[in-house]
Amino acid sequence: MTGIHPPGGSLARRTLLKAGAGGLGLAALADLAACSKDGGGSSKSLKMLYFGEQAQATQLQNRLQPQIAKLDATIKFEISAINGTDWNDFLAKVLTQIAAGTPPDIISVATEGLQLMASKELAIPLDDYVTKDLDALKEYFADIHPALVESMMYQGHLWELPDSFNAGNMFYSTELFQRAGVVPPSESWTLDDFETAATKIAKFKGINAFGWVVRLWGSWTSFMYANNANLLEEGKYDGGDWLWNKAYAGDAAAAGRKGGWKWGAPTANSDATVEALNYMIELTKKGLSPSPDVGGGGTLQGLFASNRIGMSIGGGFWAGGLTNAGMKNGSFDVTMFPKWKSQRHLFGAGGYAIFKSSKKKDLAWEVLKLLVKPETFDLVFPGNVTTPGRKSLVTAARYAKTGPKHWSVFYDTLTKHPDTAPIPAPPYYNALATALNQRTTQAISSGNAKAALDGLQSDLEKAAGAS
Amino acid sequence: MSAVTAEVREAVVKKRRGHPSSHGEARFGFAMIGLSVLFVAVFTAIPIVASLGLSFFSWDVISTPEYVGLENYRRLFTDGPVLKSFGVTLGMALAIVVLQLTIGLGLAVLVNQRKLVWVRTLFRTAFYLPLLASTAAVSIFMGYLFDYKFGVVNYYLGLLGIPNVPWLTSGFGAAATIVLIAVWQQIGFTFVLFVASLMSVPTDVLEAAQIDGAGGLRTLFRIKIPLISPTILFAAVVALINAMQLFDQPYIMTKGGPGSATTTVTISMYQKGFQNLQFGYGSAIAIVLLAAILVITGLQFLAARKLVFYQ
Repeated sequence: MTGIHPPGGSLARRTLLKAGAGGLGLAALADLAACSKDGGGSSKSLKMLYFGEQAQATQLQNRLQPQIAKLDATIKFEISAINGTDWNDFLAKVLTQIAAGTPPDIISVATEGLQLMASKELAIPLDDYVTKDLDALKEYFADIHPALVESMMYQGHLWELPDSFNAGNMFYSTELFQRAGVVPPSESWTLDDFETAATKIAKFKGINAFGWVVRLWGSWTSFMYANNANLLEEGKYDGGDWLWNKAYAGDAAAAGRKGGWKWGAPTANSDATVEALNYMIELTKKGLSPSPDVGGGGTLQGLFASNRIGMSIGGGFWAGGLTNAGMKNGSFDVTMFPKWKSQRHLFGAGGYAIFKSSKKKDLAWEVLKLLVKPETFDLVFPGNVTTPGRKSLVTAARYAKTGPKHWSVFYDTLTKHPDTAPIPAPPYYNALATALNQRTTQAISSGNAKAALDGLQSDLEKAAGAS
Repeated sequence: MSAVTAEVREAVVKKRRGHPSSHGEARFGFAMIGLSVLFVAVFTAIPIVASLGLSFFSWDVISTPEYVGLENYRRLFTDGPVLKSFGVTLGMALAIVVLQLTIGLGLAVLVNQRKLVWVRTLFRTAFYLPLLASTAAVSIFMGYLFDYKFGVVNYYLGLLGIPNVPWLTSGFGAAATIVLIAVWQQIGFTFVLFVASLMSVPTDVLEAAQIDGAGGLRTLFRIKIPLISPTILFAAVVALINAMQLFDQPYIMTKGGPGSATTTVTISMYQKGFQNLQFGYGSAIAIVLLAAILVITGLQFLAARKLVFYQ
């Protein structure tokens, strides 16, 4: 025998066995599932899951520990960070952690995961706690727009106390607008104005007029909302009067609010939805927008910060994000999303829920109230990395260092456009997000929005049926 | 001398009777084997069996698993997108294996002709280096490199007057780019195997061929390749098994898109299991993938009976 003498059979078999390693993760979960029922942290610790970096989580943990010690001196507050490209990724990892037998007591969950968590009864409704402490919470509710609270309701119950949100506004580079001779857009600008500005900016070599990311929040879905369309039929659950009548009595913005958003049958291939995605394809064909990436938007933010993109959809989190990426205050600004058939925006909210398996629910509730106090917000979110849910925190002083100049747009989106609604995140959100990403890239690469959205409609019907 | 002989004889007898030191050696040996067996059992065998078991259940991590028999398998064989992912995987895997073997062999032959040892070492190191890099890091980096609008590759092509190429944003382009990146990263392994194998081709056989008037190409195809064919078989089997599990590059660079053009079986499995919380279905996909790899590898060994030359 010449050459290397690989023990063909045995090595190949061994390598073959490795092929089953894909099943390892799944199998390991099966073994560990039995542990998941116990839940909660140990008797001396209160665990919270946080979407972000562990270094930030540890900082936050250290900052909050003294305040938590006032509630219970024997408790150690532990925050575990879960890193992910987006909420879809975060949720998948959270569920894996639950399966591994280490569910937390408190979890920060955005709109994306609320109905999934509530429908699977992973969390508990906060109705009783809120009713019990309503007097103390009146100040909180008076400061939080009811649209945010309603987005945290499901089937008539309140599952989270929102502390932050991001609406899909339009950020633009003031420098590129100036170079192109485009007047900064007003809040009431239209889609035609948007395209005119984009055409002027696209004249510069190496610059893209408009950049976007394939995802559910602030993607082509913003155009879909402005076109009065959606991926799912919109409805609302009955109930919620227990909250609206007491916490928001007399508040006009609370009129018509019910028990949370009820996402019905898929409407992904409706004419208006197809029209919205077709508009994006046309933007790409006209050279006004590059083919988008899938995912969290870090690259997009980097490109915008380096003045290679003229406009992009962003929320309050872009103020901190662009500053951290090196943009100077004044080199970017924000306005409302342009008006198409309407100027309806989409938003996602963030907040905290108590895990059903927690053995320290009462303490967790006290921590939840602490987390939504005004003075806690900047401990949790230093540097404008999201929009405060409390209106009193959205101030000129907050944005004085980072910008944007028209920071008031963030909260005005909720107050001036009352039809603004949360992203469609039903209990089968994960399947929806996966299908949406795939079908969007299919549409952009093939140029056929109708075929891709027919496929999405079929995907969503299957996912809805299976949930 | 006789004293020494007697000593040796005594040692042999003691060994046959089971000298204490030989017991210790045996225990050490069993311990070492035991560790390997334990490792394989915990990290390979048990997960495969557990996956097989899980594939008969419907389980979303949160609720109690529900026994569904063969339903996950029935669903798999009628699930168009998942079946398509098997086709995508097979196509990409075949392309990767063919390119990896032919380019790897070609480079090995060229390098093997260099008489200077340092030249060989330099090339071996150069081609092996990508294999040492993290696939995730390479994929992120390549994603930037091949970006349609802002990528360095299209930038330099643009300088040559070539319009932007949709490397990752067209179906064929994305699949081809991922194949090329996978080949680039994995080629070091086959290359090193082939170089070592070619170096051990007996020189007397090569000299005999030279005396008989065989040229370079004839020597390569009639002498060298047949003699290293067991290595080629080994490389082909390992490359195919790796390629059938392609995940990192398409997941990071294209998330399986555009559309489902680069959605491999492992991505389908991840999506169903970890993203859509259908762990039973995800396990069924894993088991069918394992079966497919076993069948394909079996076919490779069957073909090898005719094509591989064992000295």
